[in-house]
Amino acid sequence: MSAMLLDHLTLAIRRLKTRKVRVLLTVLGIAIGIAAVLGTVSLGEGIRMQAVETIRASSDLTLIEATPGNLDGTSYLITPSSVEHIRSVPHVTASSAILKDSYASQHQTYLPVIGADGEEISEVLNLRVESGKMYTSGSAEAVLGADLGEYLRRYEGMQIGSPFPVMVREYDNEGRPRDREIAITPVGILSPRDDRYDSVLILDWALVAAEKPGQQGFDAVLIRTGDHLAVAKVAGDLQELGFSAGGAFEQIEAVNRFMDVVILIFAIFAGVSLVVGGLMIANTMMISVYEQTREIGISMALGAAEGDVMRMVLLECLLLGIMGGVAGIAASLAFSSVLNVVGRPLLLSRFGGEFSGLFGDSLSVITPPMLIAGLGIAIVLSLLSGIYPAYRAARLDPVEAMRS
Amino acid sequence: MFRGNAMTTLLSLEGVTRVYQNGVKALDGVSVSMERGELVSILGKSGSGKSTLLHILGGLDRHDSGTVAFEGTALDYRNRTEIIKHRRNRVGFIFQQFNLLPSMTAIENVEYPLIFRGVPRSDRHSRARVLLEQVGLSGRIDHYPTELSGGEQQRVAIARALVSEPLIVLADEPTGNLDSATSAGIVSLMREINRERGVSFFIATHDRDLAARADRICTIADGRMVA
Repeated sequence: MSAMLLDHLTLAIRRLKTRKVRVLLTVLGIAIGIAAVLGTVSLGEGIRMQAVETIRASSDLTLIEATPGNLDGTSYLITPSSVEHIRSVPHVTASSAILKDSYASQHQTYLPVIGADGEEISEVLNLRVESGKMYTSGSAEAVLGADLGEYLRRYEGMQIGSPFPVMVREYDNEGRPRDREIAITPVGILSPRDDRYDSVLILDWALVAAEKPGQQGFDAVLIRTGDHLAVAKVAGDLQELGFSAGGAFEQIEAVNRFMDVVILIFAIFAGVSLVVGGLMIANTMMISVYEQTREIGISMALGAAEGDVMRMVLLECLLLGIMGGVAGIAASLAFSSVLNVVGRPLLLSRFGGEFSGLFGDSLSVITPPMLIAGLGIAIVLSLLSGIYPAYRAARLDPVEAMRS
Repeated sequence: MFRGNAMTTLLSLEGVTRVYQNGVKALDGVSVSMERGELVSILGKSGSGKSTLLHILGGLDRHDSGTVAFEGTALDYRNRTEIIKHRRNRVGFIFQQFNLLPSMTAIENVEYPLIFRGVPRSDRHSRARVLLEQVGLSGRIDHYPTELSGGEQQRVAIARALVSEPLIVLADEPTGNLDSATSAGIVSLMREINRERGVSFFIATHDRDLAARADRICTIADGRMVA
């Protein structure tokens, strides 16, 4: 069977060789279509990768914040037992239950507060104390994020090791705000991190809990996962347990969703050229069947069944598709390299460093699955385009065909 | 290969009629039979229905009424599989225009029908070579049709018609495009093959001299057998 297919393939190659120019033009048509689709998708992929890399560089991707959530109508609070539950989720390497609040300084500087166990939060956030030390458990000591610490030191005279009064806002029975002063002692300022923890005040959780008398459970659990590939899995597990899960990974998901749509729209426009390529194959094969009518009639008289005739036409289409696909892949790789080697420096020199993030390493990214898909599309397209010409060929009346 | 001399009926036609869509009655109640190993010529002018008769016998066309039977069994023209098998296994064709495929060499043309029969390449090649030797073209096997004379092309076509070892070779004006000397050679070759291999020949011609060299002559006029 396969030997017979090989015979038919050899014959198809010979038939194609008898009309080289038309084959070349058709192959070019398909190649341009495939290259257009791969080119636009690669450009989209390049932008996507740049955006993801930018998020990755500026955020902590392996950090997840689990907050109370809802599942099937039941609310799930973060209680000490649920914290234990969360710790047992696979890929969770560290975690810290936290309370959130907000205080103000005497100069009315807004102070976002996190209450947590000092060791746990240090581990989960990889906190580094730049000056001073970490607070001790059960004390009224505090550490400050780099930006907040710098600000309070510079503008409000805060000193490491000296008590620093802060205001806790409360509301009385009639709903009127009332500020109450509590004394904390800043004992350390953290290293800069370039994230929101640069502007927080971190205290022992017991101290924060004491100032939130009506609080049930914790506000959130900060979770560290082994690697960024496990983040989505852990987030899914948390959602199954009834908690909400958030983090920088959501931004990446949002970028991916957005880019999926953008790339799809690009690809649809580029796909028009593929339709043109398909019509070219159909046209070529219709002409080819017309030209070979006599040969098809002779073949039928010599014993070719309708299936053999269809196979003759479709094998030619398959070969056109493979040639077009391979040429299209080569063209898209060349297009991609030209974009990266010439296009990127050109854009950077024209628009300057503002776009350096967007045009980071490469402007266009082609992945192996894209190449396989390109070849696959070319082959499927050419076979689809060949169905009608093949059907027409198979339905020829051998006697009439031999007369032509 | 030799199928023996025992005279058994190879094919029989009973009241075969063929009317084309334009109303032309190409065959009008044709009845004819043929024994195995016979070389029969069917003599008639152009348009007399010879070719139609050959096409029906070869499974390339169908009749509208009557029966066509091979080896005692009626051919069912609605059964495509049966008709394809009939074309592949029982008949070989020789045409006036030779109908060789121009992109193939002589030996490839002879091998070609065997591709549809799934015969392995080496087997095809050796069978084609033997036949080309028998038709006297052993030195021309790698020539393309355009490099061969008319007589040589028809010899290749004869070899091609025989390559699938058919029961009968249907020849439609096989010498129509050849000069008289070459024609005589082709007829002699068909006679020789008929005698040596026992293959039946059904030769449609308008040439009385050619027809006269057959075992039997049937004459057709206006779609009817007249003798």
